[in-house]
Amino acid sequence: MMKQMSGAQAPVKYRSVKAAERSSTAVSYLILILLSLIWLYPILWIILNSIRTEYNDQNQLIGIVVSHYFPKQLGFENFVNLFRNTLFPRWFLNTLFVSSISFVLSTLLTLTVAYVMSKLRFSFRKKFLNLAIILGLFPGFMSMIAIYYILKALQLTQTLFALILVYSAGAGLGFYVAKGFFDIIPNSLIESARLDGANNAKVFTKIILPISKPIIIYTALLAFTGPWMDFIFARVILGETNREMHTVAVGLYYMLYGERVDSNVFTIFTAGCVIVAIPIVSLFLAMQKYYIEGVTAGSVKG
Amino acid sequence: MKKLLFMLVLAVASVSVLAGCSGGNALVIWVGSESQEFYAEKMDLYVEEYNSTHEEKFPYKISVLAADTGTAAATFLDDPEAGADIFTVAHDNLGKLTAGSSAIAPVTNPDLLAQIAADNPDPFLEVIKASVGGVEYTFGVPYVAQDLVLYYNTDYITATQVETWEGILDAAIASNKQALSLTGTDGFNNSFLVLARNAETNESTLKIYEGGVQEECYARGDDTVAVMKWGQRFFTHPNGAKAPTDSGWETELHNVISLSVIAGSWDFGPAKAALGSKLGVAVLPTFTITEDDAYGTVEAGTVFQSGTFVDTKMFVMKKNSEKAAYLQDIMLYLSSKEMQEESFEEAENLPAYKNAPIEFEAFLEDTVEAELARAQVEMFQYGMPQPFGYSTKFNTYYYSKGAPDLIMDILENTDDLFTEDSAILAQLEIIETIWKTGIRPE
Amino acid sequence: MQNLEQRVGKHCRFSRFISGFARFFRRTWNGMQKRIKAFAFRFKDGSVGTKLSHFVAGAGNFYHKQFIKGSLYLLLYVGFLYLMIFSPEVNSTPIGFKALINFITLGTEAGDIFTPTDNSMLMLLFGVVTIGIIFIYVFAHMSSISSSYKADLDVRDGRHPSTFKEDLNDLMDGRFHVAMLTPALIGIIVFTVLPTIFMILIAFTNFDSAHPAGQVLFDWVGFENFANIFSGTGEISVRFGPVLGWTMVWAFFATSTNYIGGILLALLINKKQIKLKKLWRTVFVITIALPQFISLLAMRNLLSEYGPINSFLINVGFIDQPIQFLANASNPWTARITIIVINIWIGVPYTMLMTSGILMNVPADLYEAAQIDGANKRQTFFNITVPYILFVTAPYLITSFIGNITSFNVIYLLTGGAPTVSGYKAGSTDLLVTWLYKLTIDESEYNIGSVVAIITFIITATVTLISYRRSKTYKEEDAFQ
Repeated sequence: MMKQMSGAQAPVKYRSVKAAERSSTAVSYLILILLSLIWLYPILWIILNSIRTEYNDQNQLIGIVVSHYFPKQLGFENFVNLFRNTLFPRWFLNTLFVSSISFVLSTLLTLTVAYVMSKLRFSFRKKFLNLAIILGLFPGFMSMIAIYYILKALQLTQTLFALILVYSAGAGLGFYVAKGFFDIIPNSLIESARLDGANNAKVFTKIILPISKPIIIYTALLAFTGPWMDFIFARVILGETNREMHTVAVGLYYMLYGERVDSNVFTIFTAGCVIVAIPIVSLFLAMQKYYIEGVTAGSVKG
Repeated sequence: MKKLLFMLVLAVASVSVLAGCSGGNALVIWVGSESQEFYAEKMDLYVEEYNSTHEEKFPYKISVLAADTGTAAATFLDDPEAGADIFTVAHDNLGKLTAGSSAIAPVTNPDLLAQIAADNPDPFLEVIKASVGGVEYTFGVPYVAQDLVLYYNTDYITATQVETWEGILDAAIASNKQALSLTGTDGFNNSFLVLARNAETNESTLKIYEGGVQEECYARGDDTVAVMKWGQRFFTHPNGAKAPTDSGWETELHNVISLSVIAGSWDFGPAKAALGSKLGVAVLPTFTITEDDAYGTVEAGTVFQSGTFVDTKMFVMKKNSEKAAYLQDIMLYLSSKEMQEESFEEAENLPAYKNAPIEFEAFLEDTVEAELARAQVEMFQYGMPQPFGYSTKFNTYYYSKGAPDLIMDILENTDDLFTEDSAILAQLEIIETIWKTGIRPE
Repeated sequence: MQNLEQRVGKHCRFSRFISGFARFFRRTWNGMQKRIKAFAFRFKDGSVGTKLSHFVAGAGNFYHKQFIKGSLYLLLYVGFLYLMIFSPEVNSTPIGFKALINFITLGTEAGDIFTPTDNSMLMLLFGVVTIGIIFIYVFAHMSSISSSYKADLDVRDGRHPSTFKEDLNDLMDGRFHVAMLTPALIGIIVFTVLPTIFMILIAFTNFDSAHPAGQVLFDWVGFENFANIFSGTGEISVRFGPVLGWTMVWAFFATSTNYIGGILLALLINKKQIKLKKLWRTVFVITIALPQFISLLAMRNLLSEYGPINSFLINVGFIDQPIQFLANASNPWTARITIIVINIWIGVPYTMLMTSGILMNVPADLYEAAQIDGANKRQTFFNITVPYILFVTAPYLITSFIGNITSFNVIYLLTGGAPTVSGYKAGSTDLLVTWLYKLTIDESEYNIGSVVAIITFIITATVTLISYRRSKTYKEEDAFQ
């Protein structure tokens, strides 16, 4: 098709290409708009549920799941209930506490390990690489009981510190993405710094880190948001009854998933989801540029 | 950026201060989340009372925590040392808790034993005991009773219609809705048919672990076959009962897809939110065997009453607790008749003691809550305490080895395999074998 | 190089794999011999301090007046001895020397209503932990000896033994990797390696629902679980094949749909004519940022039988009966296809971002070369851009495939394995991992769960090994050495 067209006279070709281009752009926009609607549809539903305040004829808030998409009545009662009648504010602070500390520790750990694995050569390097690959293949939750009791031996169960420890300790294995990033940095940069008399630590802090902003932010972003999303490990470590210690994910989980739960709290649950999502989503959006670079670096080098 | 960091540090610091505050050696009690506040208040009074009548102060700080009563036993067993000193379980968890050398301690306080014996109906007295090392002990202290009732939409179903499934079905046909939703297809929710009994004699040929004996199961009786045939018609009727969907029964009630649901008191909140003033509560209906369903000695015209499992929620206590000396006295206090009544008024927990329906005037009020209480109490007559406490095995065999799915297959006449009586009978035999052995025959 | 590769042929890959193992063991053995010789030599050759160090960690450092380092080693030594001798207890189960005995017996006290039962599970775990501690300690002790020996050599060569400050400086330079990896390694050993070993060992015990820990003793049973697993009519033997099959189908489609969809979406957004690229990307980034327990829960409810999507389809007259997207028991493929489609919603944004990043980084010289050759836009696109993307993202496909084999959230939060398969725990959409979760967490069949975990591991490990060995990255890694 294309070839035939390019054989035609110049002016006609010019116009038809222009027209084709314009219509293809229109189609592209149409597809993008359609896809965006599909992608936003479930997210909007959560938001709408959080401000859905329909009452039944006995003036009782209908908090169950309903089958209409757009609420018939809007209001902020769910948020009021969330902050007054649940421990949500406490859960929020807990999560902030855990993620603030664990993201610093994990980022440090991940980056140093990645750098060492990428740029230094030493005897057990290959072994460590293989160990990391192998360990990554075992399903994690089988070892949850073991981790619970190891934490107990350290007198840490049912505390937020235990969570911090577990999240940070796992960071040593998640160095692949950052390693991929460091691999691209030319060795000559390091060598010249070494010739100037800088030691390895200095090279890392003074040469490597300043040019690694994307990967630092990428690693930190994932480490920071992790505790807001984990409802499996945190549940085992913190325990069900210890509600004051819960993180948002665990607290919200127990709101909805139990054998004897009141399913009339669904709208309150979604209000909680919205509050959790706001900081995380805005962080992601603000750091989007670096996140893309991180994702690219990591996946390409595998 | 700096400001943000500063804020973070501040938040972190403030939480660490908060995190450091808790702790200390507490006496921990787990109750269902609906009654956590009530029992916390009561325990405050208890300590006050104790301190005023004793020379020394009550030596422990008491903390009453909310725990899902359905999973409390499993949560406790994950780490008994960190578990509560006293906690609430449904009685069918007793087998799990007392397996081997038992993780909970038997009741020994004579006052408490006397109170248990005096207050509780006979079926409950059976199921709170278990054998450990060949000796039978009483482990549980009942304080709440519960069973299944019918929540229905009063706009569509009249008070007369709700007495029989046929009446409800008529209402459903008239409005072209579904007659009934279920909250699950598991062995607990199918009990309205499996445990259905002859309304006249109040008996059934069905046996499940009778007397706590593993072999004492019987599912092939004439009653069971006839009930299954009737159930099959009810489930395959376009306006009849429907298996649970992933939308949840709350939505089905709210959007009037179904007119009624079989559920427990724990589902009262969402049911009320879904229907508002249209919510009615009733005893599970009766149904009449027709020519089509008649089987063996069960003739057309025989009336059956829907059945239910009856549960008691009970307190149990941790084994080898260093606070053992205080635990039984607390349980004595928490399970008294008066406390059960207050618990009903404050947290809508149905009292477990045997004369509650006659003695307790709160039951007579004209509220939907009282209606729920009356329906539950009436259902006790047609109910059967889950006989699974005797051994962990029973619970697993009955619920988890596939029998409930096979029952649903009969009721829904999956792939038209169960049109013939012989096919139903053969399936019931498989079910019976699973109940007895936990193994599905080839 | 490539010719050689082709000549070696396919069937040789396996033998190479085996010989790789043989080489590994030979190397390990040689390494151990060397190490033992060095150890003996050091003992003979070292100073009094170094000799003493063999018995008391840090002694040699004190001998060389390296007091800070010496005290650190000594502290470790005392701590270790204290732990081993006094065996502190957690849940009445000791960690330390006693744990080693318990590790073998897995408990002897059966207990009764008045006395507690030995907790076999904790005995197994603390046995593993103690062995781990011993390993870590032996390592530390060896380093104390060698540090003392190094000081010996320094003195012999007329230098002074390194001061603490010099040691610290060395940690920041020559031994930077030691300083950086030690905390990571300890974390990994304590929270990943030991728990994983514990989990593997459970496969060789009869720890199941009939032997609850702390109530009934359990014991070692050798390979019995492996032998039983594929015989008889138990859940495992009946359901393993179908679950594994679906896991593979899922991993294949989840990976390929996300990969293709992501690339297409990225190409669409990155078209020159499209404005507001950042805005479009943002729309999709939100999905990544949203915790899955929120977004998948929304999906589940939206797609439920009387949910908004079904009501919408009925209202516009597209269907008259609701579609059971996730719960159609009579045809499990409805739910399976739905899940794969939902997974596109989850995963495509990620691939899209990755591809966008790659598109921005296509080496300019490639385009220049094409321009010189007189290629038009379309040709450049199909001959340069697309092959480049495919080339650089190849390793991602492998990681993504393995990630999908072990992906848990999507199934757990969407269907929980439903629709159920009458009579079995593993439903029609259960993957190996979600089934594993049910077996262990819900059913307490720990030993069976552990066997399934080991099998899952063998499968993923095989896939990984084959693909990594063939991938460019791995070879480059080799070339580095």
